Amino acid sequence: MVLELTTGAPLVVDFPFEWHYIRSIIAVSLYVSLVAVALSTLCSLPVALLIGFTEFRGKTLLTSLINTGMGFPSVVVGLVVLFAVSNQGPLGSFDLVFTPEAMILSQFVLAAPVIAGVSLAAVSSVEQNVRDAAYAMGGTRTDVAFVTIKEARYGIATAVLAGFGRAISEVGSVLIVGGNIARSDGTSVTRTLTTAIQLEARQGRFETAMLLGAILLVLVLAVNAIVVRLGNDGGGRYR
Amino acid sequence: MTLRATDVYHAYDDETVFEEVSLSVSPGEVVAIIGPSGVGKSTLLRLLALFDAPDDGSIEYDGTDVWAVGDRERLEYRRRIGMVFQEASLFDASVVRNAEYGLRVRQSWTDRIRHELASLVGAENGTIEVVDALDAVGLADKADQDASSLSGGEAQRVAFARALAYEPDVLLLDEPTSDLDPRNTAVLEEAIGNARDRGIGVAIATHDMHQAERVADRVAVLLENEVIEVGPTETVFEEPTDDRTQQFIDGELIY
Repeated sequence: MVLELTTGAPLVVDFPFEWHYIRSIIAVSLYVSLVAVALSTLCSLPVALLIGFTEFRGKTLLTSLINTGMGFPSVVVGLVVLFAVSNQGPLGSFDLVFTPEAMILSQFVLAAPVIAGVSLAAVSSVEQNVRDAAYAMGGTRTDVAFVTIKEARYGIATAVLAGFGRAISEVGSVLIVGGNIARSDGTSVTRTLTTAIQLEARQGRFETAMLLGAILLVLVLAVNAIVVRLGNDGGGRYR
Repeated sequence: MTLRATDVYHAYDDETVFEEVSLSVSPGEVVAIIGPSGVGKSTLLRLLALFDAPDDGSIEYDGTDVWAVGDRERLEYRRRIGMVFQEASLFDASVVRNAEYGLRVRQSWTDRIRHELASLVGAENGTIEVVDALDAVGLADKADQDASSLSGGEAQRVAFARALAYEPDVLLLDEPTSDLDPRNTAVLEEAIGNARDRGIGVAIATHDMHQAERVADRVAVLLENEVIEVGPTETVFEEPTDDRTQQFIDGELIY
């Protein structure tokens, strides 16, 4: 059913239950979340290593800020990012409003503290005597850093997956900065699994909403299963 | 290849640990550093292992003050020293990958990356040095096992093999058997004797008088911020020149 104004422009487009609609939503969701998590990891991991390895004034404060960032309300992040990318904002010249890239930016802000915080905890939990052993065997500072990353690898992987979990299941900020837009041919521009579920449910298309919900659930469950599996693999010291 | 601490003064948080401590470790000898817990035996070994620079005095390697040379040269000296800690402190990896760690860090990055890739496809093999080192502690048959599957005693033996695999000139042992059962202790003490016979200089910190008597050629007694006595094992235990040494050996000094 398509309601049309007298000019012929569609007011509300009723997408039928079609796979290309579903597929495009999954693609946008994965694209936005994966790119955001990759960028967050690239920025957060060095920060976590730097904080974990060095002693400096304000280290506790910085750690607290990162931990606070893990609980940022996503709608507030969305609002701030929308302001930043709007015409009057500092990133206004990039013309990012209602684009997947703006969504990536907001998910980056949400995922980065999670990845930094969990990685920092993992790096900090590597025992000093293991680092000392690497140094005593003739390792340089770089070698000791690599040993620490290797020892913390399960924790770091957990951090990345937790960041992905936060990004893919997030709804508030992507709705604000992305606008939940789909083309008239039924393919997504900035519509993600979460924002699509919200829309479909509001419009009473529960079948589609339920299917999208199930797909999102499978994705999140798969990520959590990997996290649990990694957690089980990464423990234990001598019998 | 003599490692020597001369007139070392060192403090932590304004609290003096040593005043004018001197001690040397020569090739083919075992020196036991005995003293009560908390007296600074570990700190002395860490200074000898070049973890930290002493606040005063010098650490010399064959007459060269190792803190007067550049970082690169000091790294070369550091790489001639092996160390075993009270805790095994193994890496979360297989036994062989633990034992070969010292050899790996001495390789070029190209060789290390090549080795990492080979290990990913399961084509890794311990080199002769690594197999020999594991053999010296009786664990060559456990090379492929995960280090976390080892008992505490076996883990400590792997830690010893890890320090031995790159053939250091000097081995520093920080209470290596304090948590071990008699059998594992015997294996390690035999390995210490074998290392000495191969010309490696060994310094072992211990609070076990009997162990010092069993393994050491010389004994240094560390008490009250200084080495109060140093000499051949028999002399120190049977005819100590300092009354406090006799009291410590007899268990009469309480700290």
